[in-house]
Amino acid sequence: MNIKQLTQDAGLKLKLYLATLGEPLDKAHEVTSAGDAGLRSGELSELTIITDLKPDGARNLRLIFETLKGNLTGARKVGTLHDMRFVFLENDTKLLFCTCYDGDWDTYINDFATKIPEMMDLIFGNIEGWPGIKSPTVKEFILSKQITASAWFVSHPNLTVADTTRLEKIGAGLNKLLEL
Amino acid sequence: MFLKKLFKRTAEKIELHDIQAIILRDRPLPYHGVNVFLEILHTASAKAFLKEIVPYVTNAQNWWDNDNAWLSIAFTYEGLKKLELPQSTIESFPDAFKKGMAARSEKLMDINENAPEKWDAVFKTAGNHIAVSIIAKNMDDLNSKKALALQVLEKHQGVKLCFQADFDTPIEGNFNHFGFRDGISNPEIEGSGAEQLNSKERPIKAGEFIMGYNNEAGNYYPMPQPMEFAKNGTFVIFRKYHSHVAAFNRYLKEQAKNKDEQELLAAKMIGRWRSGAPLNMCPFKDNSALGADATKNNDFDFSNDQNGKLVPYSSHMRRMNPRNSKMAVMSDVNLHRIIRKGVGYGPALPNGSTKDDGKERGLYFIAFSAKAMETLEFLQREWVNSGNFMSLKNEKDPVIGLNEGKGTFTLPGEPLPKRFTGMPTFNTLKGGMYLFMPGINAIKWLSEL
Repeated sequence: MNIKQLTQDAGLKLKLYLATLGEPLDKAHEVTSAGDAGLRSGELSELTIITDLKPDGARNLRLIFETLKGNLTGARKVGTLHDMRFVFLENDTKLLFCTCYDGDWDTYINDFATKIPEMMDLIFGNIEGWPGIKSPTVKEFILSKQITASAWFVSHPNLTVADTTRLEKIGAGLNKLLEL
Repeated sequence: MFLKKLFKRTAEKIELHDIQAIILRDRPLPYHGVNVFLEILHTASAKAFLKEIVPYVTNAQNWWDNDNAWLSIAFTYEGLKKLELPQSTIESFPDAFKKGMAARSEKLMDINENAPEKWDAVFKTAGNHIAVSIIAKNMDDLNSKKALALQVLEKHQGVKLCFQADFDTPIEGNFNHFGFRDGISNPEIEGSGAEQLNSKERPIKAGEFIMGYNNEAGNYYPMPQPMEFAKNGTFVIFRKYHSHVAAFNRYLKEQAKNKDEQELLAAKMIGRWRSGAPLNMCPFKDNSALGADATKNNDFDFSNDQNGKLVPYSSHMRRMNPRNSKMAVMSDVNLHRIIRKGVGYGPALPNGSTKDDGKERGLYFIAFSAKAMETLEFLQREWVNSGNFMSLKNEKDPVIGLNEGKGTFTLPGEPLPKRFTGMPTFNTLKGGMYLFMPGINAIKWLSEL
């Protein structure tokens, strides 16, 4: 690295320090590896995939999303899913899929294959090379498509979906009690 | 005979004659037995040993006509390599099996006091290649089968005995060291011919437990190749636990005022009373007749107790088989079942004693599954050492969880839950390994390679 690069880097670090006013980093928001791919923050993990769509893939997915009016409530069934998003890239030829979930991704893959196989294949069957959720190679396939995020922030890394649901219920119950 | 009556020949669909008996058949109660590890010094000698011992390996067919002592054989990955299986077969084993249990300790939550560095020396050596286990219903049967096996072993100098551990039913009447009835609940396997003892569960596809058959997803789990070699085999989980019985008794005394309360707390932690009677079938008082009745003591699910007020979600029994519980995380209960054939070792601690006598006692946890490594990792991470699946944050299993003096146990109550804290680890891991238990033909095949 040359002197010019070093000076530039030092300048960037100084600007960052000034921008954050030297605020100390909160350990609760540290990220570690989520296993073979992806980042983990506290109880939560991220999964990001960019992959080729089959020729009719974007059209099929749009039809699914439009039929549901963009409402993916069914995903609640999984119980570990915080969010997910589907974005079409490069003239509908590629798909960006991002999700945030609790714990380990692969611990529950087998469950998807017996609990919601149709839903999984209906959606992910539109990407090139999808082996089917019941395939023994499905974990390797997902892993091979996964891009680990370079940075990721979660505001409450220690609240799982189950925790949030419980707190929501407690909050509602408490409010009801106070109104009486 | 009672068990013979339960066995319906007409329902057999899997190749019982080729499957080792211990996987499918309920072990005798009470039991006496021995676990042995052998080291392979010379490959040819080991194959000759296998060839000669195969006729003594007990299969799952006509089991009541067989010897009253069952001999089973399984192999570690190192052992299979020593036997010089074809390279393509060696490579085709699942990764977690190749790496071994100790190397996957982070994934298994086998950390801190349960970490591999703290295991017994015998589990740290590379010399465990073949595991032989004999289990019998009386000492005479055990001794004669043991003598037969030793005779074969002595003829083959290339196989060295490096570990031998006897085991016995810990407390007369088939109770484990903690004083609870042992060996009650095992999954029913489709086509195994055993009559269903739980009317609320359906039989699970054989492929979840035995290789070469369809699993619950209508597929096969990754298995060694070729299929002819894998067929009728399974993976074995072997884990040695040291049971801290005095600490358990002490904890009950500290947390509960009188004997009745202590017994109730103990039952809540397990999910059953000491007799084996399930809490949700008799919530207030033990029922020893029910506990001893194999046709009734497992015939239930939790549909009568969705809030966990009878059987806490956190209890050992409910965690290990949530049977129709409404869980916070979607999971298919049938995918996470294992066949358990654990056995106790060491002398019993005097009844109710709160003082440790320093003697080693505990459990050889022996379990079978076609995806044993994956299942154990799931169980350890999700159901044993976390509470998230039933919305209890980090609360761990009260019996086998890594609680380390910081454990909590939540008892749902009216209106507020009661929380017990400061729970120690009651079972410490002292070692473990994964093994492959082939079908009987596959042992013959590899002895002739």
